[in-house]
Amino acid sequence: MMFGLEVRNVAVAYKGKSAIRGVSFKAGAGEIIGFIGADGAGKSSLMHAIAGVGRFSGEIVYGGETYRSPAEAEKLKQDIGLMPQGIGLVLYETLTVGEHLEFFASIRNLKRTDAFRTYRNKLLEMAGLSAFVDREAGKLSGGMMQKLSLICTLLHRPKLLILDEPTTGVDPLSRRELWEILDDIRKSEGTIILVSTAYMQEAAKMDRVYLFDSGEIIAGGSAEQLIDSVREYTYTEIPCSEKQRCFSFDKRSYSLAPLDVPHAEPTLEALFFVNALKKGYAMPKMELEARESDAPIPDIVLEAKALTKRFGEFVANDRIDMQLRAGEIVGLLGANGAGKTTFIKMLLGLYAMDGGELLLLGKPIRSGEDRRTLKAKIGYVSQHFALYKDMTVRENLLYFAQMHRIETKKALVRIRKYAEALGYRAYLDALPASLPLGINQRFSITAALLHEPVILFLDEPTSGVDTIARAQFWEIMELLKEKWGITILITTHYMSEAEYCDRVVLFKEGVKVADATVETLYKEHPEAADFEEIFMEYYR
Amino acid sequence: MRIFWTIVAKELISFMRSWGLLAVVLYSFTLDVYIAGAGMQIKPRNVAVGYVDETGGGISQKILSHLHGPEFVQPKRFLSQKALSEAIFNKKILVGILFDRDFEKDYREGREAVMNVLLDATAASQSFTTLGYLQNIVMDFNKVDFPVALKAHKLFNQNADNHTFMALSEMLSIITMLSILLPAMVFVREKEEGTWDIMLLMPIDTKVTILAKSFSQVLIIFAGTVICTGFVLFGSFDMPMNGSFWAFLLLTFFYIFTSAGIGLFVASVSKSILQVAQLSMIIMMPMIFLSGAWTPIHAMHPVLEKLSLISPLRYYIEGCESIFYRGTQWSDLWPYFTGVILLGSVLYWYGFRKIGKLF
Repeated sequence: MMFGLEVRNVAVAYKGKSAIRGVSFKAGAGEIIGFIGADGAGKSSLMHAIAGVGRFSGEIVYGGETYRSPAEAEKLKQDIGLMPQGIGLVLYETLTVGEHLEFFASIRNLKRTDAFRTYRNKLLEMAGLSAFVDREAGKLSGGMMQKLSLICTLLHRPKLLILDEPTTGVDPLSRRELWEILDDIRKSEGTIILVSTAYMQEAAKMDRVYLFDSGEIIAGGSAEQLIDSVREYTYTEIPCSEKQRCFSFDKRSYSLAPLDVPHAEPTLEALFFVNALKKGYAMPKMELEARESDAPIPDIVLEAKALTKRFGEFVANDRIDMQLRAGEIVGLLGANGAGKTTFIKMLLGLYAMDGGELLLLGKPIRSGEDRRTLKAKIGYVSQHFALYKDMTVRENLLYFAQMHRIETKKALVRIRKYAEALGYRAYLDALPASLPLGINQRFSITAALLHEPVILFLDEPTSGVDTIARAQFWEIMELLKEKWGITILITTHYMSEAEYCDRVVLFKEGVKVADATVETLYKEHPEAADFEEIFMEYYR
Repeated sequence: MRIFWTIVAKELISFMRSWGLLAVVLYSFTLDVYIAGAGMQIKPRNVAVGYVDETGGGISQKILSHLHGPEFVQPKRFLSQKALSEAIFNKKILVGILFDRDFEKDYREGREAVMNVLLDATAASQSFTTLGYLQNIVMDFNKVDFPVALKAHKLFNQNADNHTFMALSEMLSIITMLSILLPAMVFVREKEEGTWDIMLLMPIDTKVTILAKSFSQVLIIFAGTVICTGFVLFGSFDMPMNGSFWAFLLLTFFYIFTSAGIGLFVASVSKSILQVAQLSMIIMMPMIFLSGAWTPIHAMHPVLEKLSLISPLRYYIEGCESIFYRGTQWSDLWPYFTGVILLGSVLYWYGFRKIGKLF
């Protein structure tokens, strides 16, 4: 092991609250080490400690040098590369791709030798950005931004690369490309790569995976070892009854006590469920009553006919037809920049249409008055669940109820009902920023449901949310479909989630390339093992 | 209407919970105005005087004995002009006086005696007022026979007190700044925090949203103004109140809407709070310069003087001075009300249209 990394008993605390408690592990040159765990489990804190940008206790040995503080890590910084969490966080919107590389080379004080230029071009080539050297970073898609951030971090040839959720919010295609870059780099440069991820398929590509839970590593090993450890608790999916302590998600059920059904092949996601079961965490039973309004929902709720949106020369949505029917969950998939968000914003009435027609409950939407009726009938959960952070959960919900002209008394009753049904009653008087992402997600859904809409739009509702919260989310969606019979349109980057949708619509460069049920798509692509491969077929 | 008040309440709650913002607004309306009023010293106070005396004392010491507290600290003696210059250069001394060898002799023999004064002109008002003092002292030695006596009558501000005037000007500037900044911020904050789309998705008339959001900020500034007038102007500086307090409040109310209109415009073209701050400064500075708050309008270049007619702050300041100092009656305040309301309607209408286009 020529350039080993050893983390010894590292702990990090913020304002007296401990984020990481006594974590130790080792990594050798060329290894990819994965960190998985719910958000708030301490992955980022540990990464910052190792990168020497945050205070910690314990010690870290890297390349024979030991450091116990950011100051001591200073001399190693030229060997360390850190890419923080968040798309495009290290980029400058108005600088071009070429200028970014130039800038990062300058602050790293790199000599512009031929070797540097060759390496730089190789990186651009790998990231598929060679053709976009003169494009401003602000005009790149999310996937391209992440690739640019990555090659900027790689420019000084770090021997220890630390990537905090580099693929969150990135489409499967760009994710695959990011991984190709990482694989290439670790082979050619012998780099140690620490990477945290929310996508369990990626964790399978790593040499070793560590599972984090409330500041501790609770399991570690290769993906196969970890999967083996939970095999005995994984069964084919059955509906979990209230008394059984079990979780069901993604065609599998997890239980510590033996179940009466055959075992199933687990994925890494099983780790989270088994861990939660072992800790005695019970998934709150979600329940939902029927809508209070008894206005019937017609079969076709919303219809888009040849909907077109242009931004200058660029056609973001090109003559898209789509029907949304009652009691249907539709998944809208596509690479970053394929026009999904634009399309949803047009359906919401936030963007003016440049062509085509939109019909809500059979009536065309034309005037501002039409648009207001449209708004009263739709619910929308935005990316990152943006709500008012200075108001408590209850105040937020009450505000939305008032905006929809729901009587205060009735609104308070509904809020309590939803909070109980979706299991976040204890958090009603907390500020949103202090809540786990999963709770915020459920409370954003409530905000979108208070006025009992006939359509619900959710823009990446599961991005960055941990596995158990995602399982709960899909349970809520199923309930909504069953009990309310409304239409649900969801965008997601988790291909496994497409299987929960009744119908999948695929966008590519502003054009609809597929619109069919999941079964039909599997039939059309018999060679595909999972939905991600079907997705790739369309992007090849 | 219920929706209107819901939005106002939501904005007020958000404001009260943003501790930083609340602190800045409170500071601006209290300490900042107080410091501007109390700290503004045109009269010399604790001026450091240095001198070089080559005469051997006598007249020179007599002159120096007139420089005493609280205006001056005990004059300090230097041995050479070079040392004195150096002290002035290092800001140890503000005013230097040189009595050269011939000074006493020339004086005694009835010739024109020259006393050289070095001034640090960067502290302009202090050093020039000191010069005026010195001239008076020298005049006393010269018993000029000139049968004209000057008797000044100070009108409107009997104590010729700069404090109330400076404090008032500062408060009006603060009102201008905050009533551009705060309304712009309530909109841009929604953009920054990603709640903009959610705001647009409410099934509400956009006019109600814009009106309610800007009105909530007008209320905040209005409350700040009342606190500032009560505690700082009347409480600390004994500001005279010769006119109607209600006239002042009404004029202020209209004026806040005027600046809020500018705020709406700023919000419509800014993407982040940072941009709001930058743009507000760019718009606000000329408004304040042209208003007569810092320079009397009659002392401006004719072109600027004409331009000042379109600064709503000009009408507001003149109106406020009239109310506080001159005690102008309601019926005679119409030019100020007309100016503020006219410019205000145009600005608010324009800002409203601009931001309305984003909805």
